This record gives sequence, structure tokens and C-alpha cells, in this order.
Amino acid sequence: MKFHTVEIEGIETLGRYVLLHYRWEGSIEPGQFTMARAAGYPTTFDPFLARPFSFYDYDGETASLLFEVRGRGTQLLAEATERIEASRPLGKGFRVDGVAGRAVLLGGGVGVAPFKFLSRRLYELGVEHDVALGFEDEGVAGVAGDFPGAKVATMDGSFGVRGTVLDAVGDLSEYSAIYACGPNAMLAAVKRAANGAKICQLSVEERMGCGNGSCNGCVVPTERGYVRSCIEGPVFDAEVLAW
Amino acid sequence: MVMERRKTDVDLSVELFGRRLGTPLMPASGTLSKEAVGEVRGIYGAILPKTTTPRRRDGNPTPRIAETPAGMVNSIGLQNPGVEEFMKNLDDFDLGVPILVSVAGNTTDEFRELCEKVSADERVFAVELNLSCPNVEHGGLTFCAGPSSVEEVVSACRKVSGKPLSAKLTFEGVVGNAVAAESAGADALTVMNTIPALTVDADARRVLVKGGLSGPAIKPVAMRAVYDVSAAVDVPVIASGGVSTGLDVAEFMMAGAAAAQVGTASFVRDPEDILGEFEGYLRKHGISASDLIGDLRDSESASGVHEG
Repeated sequence: MKFHTVEIEGIETLGRYVLLHYRWEGSIEPGQFTMARAAGYPTTFDPFLARPFSFYDYDGETASLLFEVRGRGTQLLAEATERIEASRPLGKGFRVDGVAGRAVLLGGGVGVAPFKFLSRRLYELGVEHDVALGFEDEGVAGVAGDFPGAKVATMDGSFGVRGTVLDAVGDLSEYSAIYACGPNAMLAAVKRAANGAKICQLSVEERMGCGNGSCNGCVVPTERGYVRSCIEGPVFDAEVLAW
Repeated sequence: MVMERRKTDVDLSVELFGRRLGTPLMPASGTLSKEAVGEVRGIYGAILPKTTTPRRRDGNPTPRIAETPAGMVNSIGLQNPGVEEFMKNLDDFDLGVPILVSVAGNTTDEFRELCEKVSADERVFAVELNLSCPNVEHGGLTFCAGPSSVEEVVSACRKVSGKPLSAKLTFEGVVGNAVAAESAGADALTVMNTIPALTVDADARRVLVKGGLSGPAIKPVAMRAVYDVSAAVDVPVIASGGVSTGLDVAEFMMAGAAAAQVGTASFVRDPEDILGEFEGYLRKHGISASDLIGDLRDSESASGVHEG
């Protein structure tokens, strides 16, 4: 995998999350991801692997990644000052053509990541849409401020309604397109709740090794067996996933 | 072999099974997808797709991979569509360089049938026998469990294949197994495979991934294996295990390898950089790639420093 050294344009904190902006020129689709790391060889082989991040936003010049510090890889990224290494945009993004009506974007935890960018794209396409976000507690709800008008739920009720993102959004039947990203359990619940929606696309979060289909580590179960989320995903039509 | 890579004054080529490879690099099995194959055009001197088996294998549930210091542990479970489908799509790996096909069976008979089938295809340059998989006829021990098991499967494959065969061996017992494979007719040895390893999710108090360790962490172990095996056999050794830099390639070749497989490192580095470093080393020393092979042994053969 080829990594590009990219210039950091800024790092900010959104609640418990970190938002890192870097300079990138090229085409990126909402829902695509990059493999990123603070530094690569020869600086370090530990942490060894890069981490996959959905693009939080991209305006043609600045790409943004939203992440939570969970281990050394993300810690070092959060502490980066001048540059990081990032792969080209990878994977298949959200399908945004053919949305005939209102859409809804459902984010669970850091699964909110691809929706700033998707929201931007839908706005450009003239697709009206709502955003609903679910978090553990108010400590991570800071990012909700970046989504004006979003319906928000927290599991402990400390911010927004108490419950999950599905409790926040209410009835899904009014939407002709449903986009969701979050933990597998949440996506499975969305798939059940979305029963019958014309477009229901889920962006999965899987542990990845390479990002280019080579290691077969990031598979998800489908009707035709395990498929690689980095190549066939990370965005899947809900009916494809065997959950 | 015509290389599409930039022109260079350094001779990167090596000979393997009577063919001239443009560079000594090739992928380790299971580390290069068809989607990524374009990234190594002109970089690898040969191609080796993921191991194929007689029938489709779904592979293991996730988590399949875990990061470790300077490496990773994987337990993929040989996920593949089965040999019929595999051969149908072999052209996906056609970069105009020789294609080695890695095969694995559950029994000696399966190995033989698989080897016969892929050997009959003119697109296949050579066959790598992945002997690290469990032999169901011997209580799940791998085919690498000992020399008799290695000899049995290599002999069986030798009888049905006119193509060069390389036996891929694990670290444990590697010298004895290498000698057995050679005497059974192997044309080369791929040394080595991942090392058995375990990672733990301490918060959940459960096993995270039980599988094989790969990456730079295992390089010194593979180096020892290549060094010892090269001293014990006359057939070429293909190094595999932690090859991550151009200097690693040079070191493995000095230790006796005729070629080197890049595996896990290709997930975190651009193979072109590895080849560039290798080229830089050769230029610095004013030598060709093939000059390196076994050169370490030549200068230290009598020292005995490698004992114990």
C-alpha cells in the first residue's frame, strides 16, 4: 500500500472526539475511507498497521477525519503536529443517485464520521435529509454541535433523548433512503427497522489490516459468504449483509 | 523478462527454475489481492496469488487480525473460492511475469489432485505447496509435522507435476523438513511461514486472535531458518518472513535465498520503496542481485557462529 505524506491543516477536539484536517487534492466520495497513521517506516513499525477512517468531510482541498483515541495508533494521530501519512481514498461509498424523497442519516458513536460529508453531498444534490445521532453519553455528544438540527440520543439520557439513535429518529417509514454507520449491533437494528425502505445503506466498522483487499481481515458475512469490507464496502446495501 | 519499471543501471534480476525474473521480489501467499496487483507492476519479478484449495473455503469469523509490535497475527482460515473458480480468474494476476500458484489440501490425495490440476495449466510457472495446513489424516498436525509427512506429500505431487515445486515450510523442524522435501523432489523451498501466536483482549479477558505472527517481528527467525536451510540443501530457497525493507531482501539473499517474498510489509509500505532500497544497496556496493546469493555464508562458513 502506498502512503502519502500529507500536511495537517488543523486538529480540533469535538467532545471526546478528535477532528483532524489535512490537505488532499483529488476525488473522494462520501463513505470512502483512508488508511492513516502518524508516521510510517522508517520512523516506526510500532504501531504497525495504519487505521481505517471514513472521511468526515472533504471540500476539494481539505480532508477531515473524525476519530476517538482508543489506542496508540489514534493517540499518535491526535498528537501529530505537521504531517501524517494517508492512503488514497479507498472502498465504495454511499449510493446517492435515485433518492426520490427524504433521506435520513443515522450515526452511532464515532459512526457519525461519514455523515458530515454525505450531508454535504446530499445538500448539493438537493436531497432533503434529517440527521439522527446516538451516543453513549454527553462526553461524546460535542460532535452533535457540528450537525445543526440533528436529533440526538444518549444511552444515559444526559444529552437529547434517552436511548439509541433509533429512539431519536422515531418512525423510519417516512424516509425513502436510510444511511447508517455505527457498531454492527446498531446497523443490524437499523436494517430490521428499515424493513422495506427502497435505499438502506450501511457503512460497517471492521478491523482492517491493509485496506486494499489483500489481507482478508475485514470481512463481513453476506449471503454469498464473507466479503471484504475494504473492497466491496465499507458501505453495503442492507439486504446484502447476513445479519 | 521485460520489466515496465524505470530503467536502471543495476541488475536486479535473479534466476529461478531456469527463468530470469526481473527482480527477486514476489508476494507471499495471501498478501496480494487482485485489486492491488496493479500496484506491484514492474516491482515484483513473479506473482503468487492467495492459496487455493480443492473446494471453496469460507474462512474464519472475525476478528481475523490483530496488530502486534512490528507485526500482526492473522487467522484468515484460507478463505478462497476453490480451485475451479481460482483458475478461471487467474488472468487477474497476469502482469506479464511468471505466476506461482500456492495450493493446500487436507490430505495427501487432495494435494496431489490439486497439484496435478494447476500444473496442467500453461499459465502456471510453478507450484508452491502450502504445507502449514492441518493434515486431517494425521490428527490435525500440519503437513510440516515431520520429514515423513513432508516427504509423502512432496513425492505425491512430484509424480503428477512437471512444473517446478516449492515446498513452503514452517519454522519448526525446518531443516529436517527441507532435506526431506528436497529428497522427495522439491525444486525449491519457501522458508518460512507465520509463527504460531496468540493475542489477548485483556479488558474482555478473552482470546483476540489465535493464529500466525507475521511482519518485521519475525524477520530474524526467518533469517535463521533461511541461513540454516540453505546450508543443508542444494535447491533454491525462497525467503518469506518479515521481509520489509530493501536491506532485508539483501540480507536474506546473503543468507542464501534466491528470491524473497514480501507479505505483511506490503500492507504498510509501498513495495516499490522496498525495491528501490534494494536497488540502492546494490548500487552502493557495485554488485548485481544474483551476486548476493549465499555471500554471507562464503565469508563466515567456518566460524561456527550460527550454532545453537
